[in-house]
Amino acid sequence: MSRSIAIAGVGQTVYKRRHVEMNSAELVRGAVLEALNDAGLGLDAIGLVVGGVAPDALAGMNHIDLASIARPGIPYFRVNTGGATGSAAFLAARTWIAAGRCDAALVVALERMGHASTAQKVFNSIFDPIYEKDISISTISMVAMRATMLMQEQGYTLDHWAGLAAKNSKSAQLNDTLDHPKLFTAAEVLASPVLAWPIHALEACPMSEGACVMVLVADDLAGERNVAWIHGAAGLSDTYAMGDRMHRPEGSLVELYTLIHSAQKAFTQAGISKPSEQIDCVEIHAPFASAEAMAYTALGLCGERTGPQFADGLISQTERIVVNPSGGPQVANPVSAAALIRIAECAQQVRGRAGRRQKDGIRRAVATGQGGATQFSTCVVLGADRP
Amino acid sequence: MNHPSFVHGVAVSVSWQITSASLTDLIFRATTAALKDSNIDLARVDSIVLSAHDLVDGRSLSSMVTAPAAGAYLRDEIRLAEDGLAAMSLASARIAAGETEFSVIAAWGRASEGNYSHTSRFAFDPFLIQPFGVDEFAVSAWRLSAWIGEHGERLEARQRAHTARAARAARNPRAVCADVRPTVNHPMLASEAPRFADIVVAAVIGRPESGVRIAGVGHSSEASMIGDRNLTRMQALREAVARARTEGRESAGVDVYQLAGPTLADEAMALEAVQLAPAGEGFDAYAALANVNPSGGSESGWCFPTSGLLNFAECYLQLSGRAGGVQLRGPLRRALATGLSPMGGQVAHAIVLEAA
Repeated sequence: MSRSIAIAGVGQTVYKRRHVEMNSAELVRGAVLEALNDAGLGLDAIGLVVGGVAPDALAGMNHIDLASIARPGIPYFRVNTGGATGSAAFLAARTWIAAGRCDAALVVALERMGHASTAQKVFNSIFDPIYEKDISISTISMVAMRATMLMQEQGYTLDHWAGLAAKNSKSAQLNDTLDHPKLFTAAEVLASPVLAWPIHALEACPMSEGACVMVLVADDLAGERNVAWIHGAAGLSDTYAMGDRMHRPEGSLVELYTLIHSAQKAFTQAGISKPSEQIDCVEIHAPFASAEAMAYTALGLCGERTGPQFADGLISQTERIVVNPSGGPQVANPVSAAALIRIAECAQQVRGRAGRRQKDGIRRAVATGQGGATQFSTCVVLGADRP
Repeated sequence: MNHPSFVHGVAVSVSWQITSASLTDLIFRATTAALKDSNIDLARVDSIVLSAHDLVDGRSLSSMVTAPAAGAYLRDEIRLAEDGLAAMSLASARIAAGETEFSVIAAWGRASEGNYSHTSRFAFDPFLIQPFGVDEFAVSAWRLSAWIGEHGERLEARQRAHTARAARAARNPRAVCADVRPTVNHPMLASEAPRFADIVVAAVIGRPESGVRIAGVGHSSEASMIGDRNLTRMQALREAVARARTEGRESAGVDVYQLAGPTLADEAMALEAVQLAPAGEGFDAYAALANVNPSGGSESGWCFPTSGLLNFAECYLQLSGRAGGVQLRGPLRRALATGLSPMGGQVAHAIVLEAA
């Protein structure tokens, strides 16, 4: 990578169940103007717009991005890698700048799932139509299988899932991009209805709409701006077939092979050899507590068998590393944007611009992205220092 | 560019309703054929860039199931919901940036399993436009109507262009055999509509040198609202091609043109947009210039989002002297491929290929 690249601007709408008062173009416009203003750049400086919109069916409209994101005269394309859409769009923009095709790019991720009357049915259509639809597998039962494996193989308990959900709901109270975030205790999580054992209702992410926008710039445009430098970034894809990942030599379904190797590649680029010591903050793309737990070991934040103890440290707030200071996707999960939001939140922490949720001393932050049946993984390392 | 991208192999699968093969089967076969054509082992491929669309494939997040068939198993992969030529361009950017050594690019769409006219309707404003039943091909008809308003009906020229295009498609060994076309609106003629097809295109590009390189890329977009556009001008295509030509330092001219468009009218007006023909003479030029869409264009098979990558593959085959029955006489040095997004080509992509 010949050019250093940085995040110079971030714009986010409020994330809430449904934006009834604004159409998609209006949502995008507000976030774009905020990001450009944050970067101190005009639209004329932008050499590429990358759109991020995941399942079209969620928005109830085909190619919703063409009317709301693409801009006349500016090169444009859309990425769709499911939950990892936002981070994959980010990687594409970074590639474009690194290749010398432009000096500044806009990444725009938009989610309108609140307009889908049958969001779960849309999600269920991701599964194999011949072999799996008959058994009514859903995104929630898919997560439940993994949570059960983690409990059996690594010693996690129901209290961990409830404790992590409560931790994230507490963090969410300081996040001004959220619309009236719920505050609940671990006991309240355990008392909420079971969706698919061991997943309780208060552990599950809410439906969310919103737009997240980011301005990426080459080093010569970064100048003296307050930017978050990209120290490393990588992605990897796996097979969809979950059964094939249960006991294969590369690692089981809950060992997140793709995140392990994405992180290793990104960490190598960033010069990180001891993640638990060299990373200050992590935003994990985890719509459920068990998904967050899977990432601890994959990212090297803890040892192979010490995930539950690491979770205990986070729940009791004794762990040095800050995990999901925004509250993470458990408190707002606009699917198309969720992975980009993780990067945006890390950027704001590194830049010292995270408002009430800003944590002290964040010099290096890591954002993950997950899509499909946890088969698409991305890992991005951001830092305050020019690489 | 930092590192130039070289084309190592392609494979094209154009069919209709093969009931013994799933979409995944078709993708696997085409990708395997492209790797064989390139003589590159899959183990050397370190990135995959895909182009597919959920509503064409009939499921949400379609690449979740289909991506591994294109080689995206434990590999760096990204999927665009955009014309396949954008995927090719992104793959070449990855090579230019030093991120990858070899990349597989694949685009697919199976028109026989869906109804693209119906699907494309849902891209329009749900309150103001969808009730009128406007689809992708209605936009093409509006474009032709606007052209007729400027230049007259020119039925003879249109017929000559259709005859030439059909003759090229008949010689193309990769053309679809079935004759299934969308219903089109006046003033479009049924023969000017595309032949729907089940299409998978795969290509292998890499940093090591080969006989053909990507010399220039260009992209642009225009207003989303149809009423805000000059439909006959095709501004996004015009700009994308100009940028690709500038980057490719294409002063010596292009020998082969593969121009995308859902209908004959779109292809003919693309000739005018890329300045191969004066305004009003696109159909005449289409009939007269054998090096424009030698494949037969959308008469050989059409399905979003494959057209741009299909054009890229046809250009590569021409420059390699392996285009079969539609091979142009050489020497062929440069080729230009274009790709368009829905609706009416709001977003356009162009790539200049050059024989090394």
